[in-house]
Amino acid sequence: MREVCISAAHTVTGLGPDLDSLWRGVMAGESAIRPLTRFATDRYLTGNASWIEGLESKSSQSRLYPLLEQLFDGFVPVPAGTTLITASTKGCIDGMERLQMGLPGDPAEVPMAPLLQHIAGRLGMTASGININAACASSTIAVARAASLIAAGRSESVVVVCMDLVSEFVFSGFSALQALSRTACRPFDRNRDGLILGEGGAALLLMSREQAIREGWPVLGVVSGWGSANDATHITAPARDGCGLIQSVRQALKRAAIAPAEIAAISAHGTATVYNDLMELIAFRTLFGERSIPMHSIKGAIGHTLGAAGGIEVALGLKCLEAGQLPPTVGLLEPEEAGEGFLSCSAEPIDGRYLLSTNSGFGGVNAALILRREEG
Amino acid sequence: MDAYICGIGWVTGAGFGWGSQGGEWTMPDLPLPPLTRKDVFPEPNQRFGRMSEYTKLGLAAVTFALRDAGLEKWADKRPIGVVASTRLGCLATDLEYHTTVLLDGGGLASPNLFAYTLANCFLGDAAIQFGLTGSSFAINETGGDNLDAIRMALEDLEQGEADTMLAGICDLAVPEAFADSVSLTPGAVFLVLAATAPAASNNYGIVSLVGDGTLLHNGSATNSLFELVQRAMTGIIR
Repeated sequence: MREVCISAAHTVTGLGPDLDSLWRGVMAGESAIRPLTRFATDRYLTGNASWIEGLESKSSQSRLYPLLEQLFDGFVPVPAGTTLITASTKGCIDGMERLQMGLPGDPAEVPMAPLLQHIAGRLGMTASGININAACASSTIAVARAASLIAAGRSESVVVVCMDLVSEFVFSGFSALQALSRTACRPFDRNRDGLILGEGGAALLLMSREQAIREGWPVLGVVSGWGSANDATHITAPARDGCGLIQSVRQALKRAAIAPAEIAAISAHGTATVYNDLMELIAFRTLFGERSIPMHSIKGAIGHTLGAAGGIEVALGLKCLEAGQLPPTVGLLEPEEAGEGFLSCSAEPIDGRYLLSTNSGFGGVNAALILRREEG
Repeated sequence: MDAYICGIGWVTGAGFGWGSQGGEWTMPDLPLPPLTRKDVFPEPNQRFGRMSEYTKLGLAAVTFALRDAGLEKWADKRPIGVVASTRLGCLATDLEYHTTVLLDGGGLASPNLFAYTLANCFLGDAAIQFGLTGSSFAINETGGDNLDAIRMALEDLEQGEADTMLAGICDLAVPEAFADSVSLTPGAVFLVLAATAPAASNNYGIVSLVGDGTLLHNGSATNSLFELVQRAMTGIIR
């Protein structure tokens, strides 16, 4: 098996147009969650989301295209022969909304294939690749697939592009499911009452250690392990015992060939819904026992970015390992009792080389990645 | 990587069924047959009636494939993974859900329909119905051969992620508003792929993934999922 390195990482989130602005924002405890003006929200549980400036356009084109432009403007040139994997749950969903409302729009924009072709063309790639849809674990699984391809020698390098928008389509749905917070996004807080949506994108360039050395690419970190499993219990709710997440993490630990004791920090899914957060705490307690491990969630700072979440969290995870610091969980005021030893309202040092990043989603999906700090 | 095809299930414009029933397999560009619970499950199933048409389609094909492979009945959850390729995913459900959003400023948005507005949603239902705890996700591919899900399942088998995988395609007919933009043959077809030779179930031959991404069936290159299924059905060994 070949070693899988991450050589470039870039993000666009409500906290800014790059990874540095995201890092500075979360370390300062800032949140991009604010009133949303994109559509009327008076019939929904909240009027807030984390959204990106500059996506509005007078044209009928989806907001996803300007988001991608912001993302690719700050990204590196992609090496020749790189494979493309994207992750998105709803793609150009705002294009479908426009058509449904009788507004000008292009039906050809709605399927994923033209979006994939656009991304491939924009990055100068010859093959259009595939999009992965695994709900809120889409980009976690996309990174895992990329790592698997490289480890097995099927690809030398893979670019993973993760993206999703704040749309009324999704906003109304989570509101109808009573999953949106009426107050604020408070991951792992004992008074949490739901998630807040966000939009964002991430671009990650993964490659073999051999290619990184041969072509002089930097190594920001290593993808050491990955795993994915289904709860097989419920369509929209997590398994209360965390069985799928536990199985995913165990697979990732086995792939990384490390013991649970070597995990030094956790980037949790932490949506701030009552059941997701409790499920994660149960799973991590099962996996790590009573040991204290710094854990955080980014959702209070940039909202739940759905199919982009895992990619953004990988990019931020690399910064965490580089800096040796785990940011605070924005919105967390009174940690859930079950999270004692995991949770902190302030930034914490990371004492070790390995960070675990996990996501879970509708359809019972769970996925885990283990990132390793590059030494020297 | 080699894998044994030990189950095939489908819903196409020609009808629905599974490989060991025999007969010629086709996937004509015709309207799909309506699916009732009795068509898919012999016993009562409280969930089926509430599912979206996209979910019913995918779940039915998965059910038939597992039935064909002798894997429908289960007692303990199993680490079987599923990869489903789709062009339009749940677009028909999206349109239906969005009409409920437009009714009253979103105040009447249907939570039940919203739960089915993800392309991977039927995989969750399949996981629950059959205790499948492997990795499950949907993909959108841009190539025309409909074989990427099979390739990814073979990669998972090669990597030891699972011993058994389901892989296939699932698409409803193109909604009228998109008919000028998208062309596809509606239907769902799933194959059960096993890393080791099946003991008691059917054997439809060996599918292999070679270095350049070419798929072989019993050593001969295959150019599309339709061709693969037709070849497998022709050469069935029971």
